[in-house]
Amino acid sequence: MLAVLIAIVFTLSAKLALPADNWSGRAQSDNVFGMMFGDGRKLFANHFFTMADVYFHSGYYPSVFDQRATEEKEIISASHGHKDSEEDEKNEDFLGKPKDWVDAFGRNFRITQHTHLENHNEREILPWLRLAADLDPQKTEIYTVGAFFLREHLNRADQAEAFLREGLRNNPDSYEILFELGRVYHDAYHDLDRARNVWQLGLKKYVAAPADQQKEDKLIFEELAVNLARLEDEAGNYGASIDWFHAAQKVSPAPDALQKQINDIQKKMAALIPVTPGKLY
Amino acid sequence: MSKIFALAGVVIKELYRRKDFYVLFVLTALLTLGAGMVNFFHDDKIVRYVKDICLLLIWVSALVISVVTTARQIPAEREARTIFPLLAKPVSRAQVIAGKFLGCWLATGVALIVFYFFFAIVTGSKEHFWPWAAYLEAVWMHWVMLGVVIAMVLLGSIYFAAPSSTSTITIIVVGGILLLGTHLKIIALQQPEPMQFILTLFYFVMPHLEWYDLRDFVVYDMGLVPVGAVLLATVYAAAWTGIFLLLAWFGFRRKNLTT
Amino acid sequence: MTAILQTQKLRVEYRSRDFRQGNKVALNGLDLEVHAGEVFGFLGPNGAGKTTTMNVLLGFVPPSSGAASLFGIDVRQPIARQRIGYLPELTYYYKFLTAEELLRFYAKIFGLTRAETDKRIAELLKLVELEHAAKRPIKSYSKGMQQRVGLAQSLINNPDLLILDEPTSGLDPLGRMKVREIIQRLKEQGKTVFFSSHELGEVEAICDRVAILHQGDLKAIGTVAEVSAGSNNLEQAFLKIVGYQPSSVS
Repeated sequence: MLAVLIAIVFTLSAKLALPADNWSGRAQSDNVFGMMFGDGRKLFANHFFTMADVYFHSGYYPSVFDQRATEEKEIISASHGHKDSEEDEKNEDFLGKPKDWVDAFGRNFRITQHTHLENHNEREILPWLRLAADLDPQKTEIYTVGAFFLREHLNRADQAEAFLREGLRNNPDSYEILFELGRVYHDAYHDLDRARNVWQLGLKKYVAAPADQQKEDKLIFEELAVNLARLEDEAGNYGASIDWFHAAQKVSPAPDALQKQINDIQKKMAALIPVTPGKLY
Repeated sequence: MSKIFALAGVVIKELYRRKDFYVLFVLTALLTLGAGMVNFFHDDKIVRYVKDICLLLIWVSALVISVVTTARQIPAEREARTIFPLLAKPVSRAQVIAGKFLGCWLATGVALIVFYFFFAIVTGSKEHFWPWAAYLEAVWMHWVMLGVVIAMVLLGSIYFAAPSSTSTITIIVVGGILLLGTHLKIIALQQPEPMQFILTLFYFVMPHLEWYDLRDFVVYDMGLVPVGAVLLATVYAAAWTGIFLLLAWFGFRRKNLTT
Repeated sequence: MTAILQTQKLRVEYRSRDFRQGNKVALNGLDLEVHAGEVFGFLGPNGAGKTTTMNVLLGFVPPSSGAASLFGIDVRQPIARQRIGYLPELTYYYKFLTAEELLRFYAKIFGLTRAETDKRIAELLKLVELEHAAKRPIKSYSKGMQQRVGLAQSLINNPDLLILDEPTSGLDPLGRMKVREIIQRLKEQGKTVFFSSHELGEVEAICDRVAILHQGDLKAIGTVAEVSAGSNNLEQAFLKIVGYQPSSVS
């Protein structure tokens, strides 16, 4: 009986060894969080990313229940043919009026003022962005948001660049990260050549992306094109600048505003010797 | 009154001679210090996440200490049969309930002071700023809230024989109130009847323990809650504590302790 | 003579675990009086109702009907226990406290002053020979030491009535002798002692009066001589009263 059992065990283990190896191979990750949490880490990453937003608003933030109630209100409002203006939506207080005496009294112990972090206190959101990036390195928004605050509000361009480069290693095709990296080179380092290279690379990545993704991310294309246009304007390459503005106009919701900028550049060109139009992309 | 204080003294002695408090404190300290030592983007002025993590750990630890300590008071006395030589003395069952409550509450208060003092030291060393008034207010509200919880646990321990049952049920109830108490009305309004009525009723009838959570005020440096609101909240907590203790006494006074 | 301890038609019923059996009667209308200065033995086989009687007197269990009083005060009032000391059969004390802390705690319950407490603790620790171990936690004590702590706590308030539940149970001969000496000394001081015991030889030696309980009913009460009348000794009288029939060996 024992011999039969041993034989069965060895046979089963031989049969199951290969699938087990393949399964553990699929689960392998050089990220410790990936190993610990599996796909659940993305939930944590989203939570920590939201925490960064909560911190930015100093605790004044709608809960999931407030958000659901607001969505339902919007659905009902839309179904009745009412559409709040964008301004109203921006200014809408998710708390609203107190629903009863319990709510009214309870507000003494909740944060009810809508404020944003400023004066370098934006640093407080960084730990949550760091954690979120570690848990979900494929979420590009974490890198772009983090880099924005590091560069714009905290004057830490070096840290912003390092963070974005880390993001690029994890997301080599991300044009959003390339756009933000270009802003570091342009706004912080005033390095026009590097900024141009990075933004042009960003556009290449955009064009190489699937069509439905391009459709969703038209805004980033416009941002890249407009920033390249301004960069060329700064560099005195007016022809290239106009070309970029034209490219941006194709997707922009405000083509007239861009046309005004084109007109301004054309006036500048009229006062100068024409330059060779640059390659688009 | 001296009998109640004598009973409370025994509870406090028991707490600091058991390991629970020390284990939780060391754990909180290690996790907080660990969190504080991590360097994010080479910026050593970042402090709010440390405050957030430390306060969360303090809240969890204090809840565990208060619930676990209280849940075993009456059942352990019955199981170890120490209740008999105690009640053979000229002490009423009401005094026993009051003494147990006071002991657990004072013991938890001592634990809170130690935890919050550690919190103040760690965060103050980073931000070089000590809003003592805000900390005192937070400690007071936290302590007052735990008074309600302790009274609730004492009531549960009269009816549930096993301390583990009392602890589990209380932690779930308290955790639920803290997480959902503020939003219960919104949740209720999104439900069909009769669930809407039940949830709305519960919303008005339950003790609103979430009012006493001033962590956000401390983490985001939002200053002080109005004194009037704190006083009213204290009276509200005292009322709920009284109700739970009264119900505990009702249950305990006619209980046959020999079975 | 003044009745220090009194029960009148005391009845205690418990709900039986088997619902088909109905309520179980632990005490069936017990009328009992213990007078000041007596050493009173409370006897009966296991399940007779002795412990139930003590539980009622100490307020652990409410009576189903009837009354019980200590020093003329209803036993349901905590003040009725101000002048009593109680020694349970088994040692039930806070293991994390030292003997001194335990005695100090109980002294506070009785409302003794600090000076009185210090004096009583010193006397009692000497009496029960625990001076050397007073500052060690009770959990480190042997069984005998824990019994002695129990004796000390029962005397902390210098009680006028001592209620002892099987005081010599589990003690070695030296320990039993010690307890007997203490009971004798208390009697000489005019205290009243009410105790239950299975050691009939001991009861015969020290008790002024005894009562014999059987299946919740009081079967006999009186001096040892009165109860033993018609039998060689108290043990034989006891067996006769509870209806013991020796089994025949064929």
